[in-house]
Amino acid sequence: MTKKQIFMTSAFTENSIWRQILGICSALAVTNLMLNSLVMGLGVIFTLALAGFTISLLRNYIPKRIRMMVQTLIIASYVIIVDLVLKAYFPQISTALGPYVGLIITNCIIMGRAEAFAGKNPPLAAMIDGIGAGVGYTFVLLVISFVRELFGFGTLFGIPILGDWWTKWSIMVMAPSAFFMLAMLIWIVNTKSAKRG
Amino acid sequence: MVNKKTIFRETRAYPVVFMLLITIVFVGILAVLYQLTLHRVQTYRETQLKSMVLRTFDLPENDVEANFTKFISLREEADLTYYEATKDSVLLGFCFPISGSGLWSTIQALLAVTPDFKNIIDIEIVSQNETPGLGGRITESWFKAQFKGKLLVENHLIQQFTLIPENDQIKGFEINQITGATASSKAVVDMIYKNVLKYSKEMRAEL
Repeated sequence: MTKKQIFMTSAFTENSIWRQILGICSALAVTNLMLNSLVMGLGVIFTLALAGFTISLLRNYIPKRIRMMVQTLIIASYVIIVDLVLKAYFPQISTALGPYVGLIITNCIIMGRAEAFAGKNPPLAAMIDGIGAGVGYTFVLLVISFVRELFGFGTLFGIPILGDWWTKWSIMVMAPSAFFMLAMLIWIVNTKSAKRG
Repeated sequence: MVNKKTIFRETRAYPVVFMLLITIVFVGILAVLYQLTLHRVQTYRETQLKSMVLRTFDLPENDVEANFTKFISLREEADLTYYEATKDSVLLGFCFPISGSGLWSTIQALLAVTPDFKNIIDIEIVSQNETPGLGGRITESWFKAQFKGKLLVENHLIQQFTLIPENDQIKGFEINQITGATASSKAVVDMIYKNVLKYSKEMRAEL
């Protein structure tokens, strides 16, 4: 596989959310605001890329039986780095995201890519795969949060779009709407890809 | 040498040694990074707090350090800690660091009241981890503005605020709650009541 193929496969063809149904916990939690989704997505891309790279570098040395412990340690370290950097240099974003940054550790996509790809492929390919999976994840988050923020708040990235006449749909801000939106998205994508064969 | 290495990698000790080493390396990196950013993070927090104290009294925030020293003094008595604001040798009021349990975690706030404890001057939310877009809206200015100048006392007793739906007209001791975030709205109102009660008693305020 070429690098472009690796990227496209992990970002879209085998998208973590709509194909593998991974990482949906955070996709449900942060998607009521587009800004939160974007920053969450960037955090995940960063973690996926570097954790993938590091795990792949060490892949021939990591004892098979404790590989998951090692992966978790590496993933957690990168997430804490993201958290520290945000706290020190972008305190406002850090406050806005609150506990969500720490929760990147439990994002199943990262563990999933480590297990499925980084543990078996060379570092550069693992990094590209990680970025791809992260971009695919961020894409889904932005699509869902676009609809939820627009209908729920009448804004996009905090900028008023719909004006005062719009009656805000409170349900779009709450968790249930995320389930509906995600399910609809998976439905649409699966129908399309089934037609294509 | 190569032979010996392969043998070691097959022993039971290898995973333990490997895990130990990799833990030391990664935790070491994190510890260093934490130490490097610690000062920055703390300075930011202190400045944030000071500027919030100034904000509750509507004092200028342009030069936080200078204005804080000029107008605010920290009082620490027994188990009470609070800020006192004075401008042109007139006591503006007291500012209490208050906290209460929200839906997910502790909400910390600063509450400024007039010297006679009869009115709230202002409230600022210092930290909270409520649901973004729902309970998180306790930091929005419309919500906080409701408390500005709000009367606290009736018949010489501290009153508890009652919550009414978001878009209704508030009067008396009513506060508009946030739609979909009753618990967080209630937490704020409750912590105000509890702390005003506590501080007014301890500071022997004549109501």
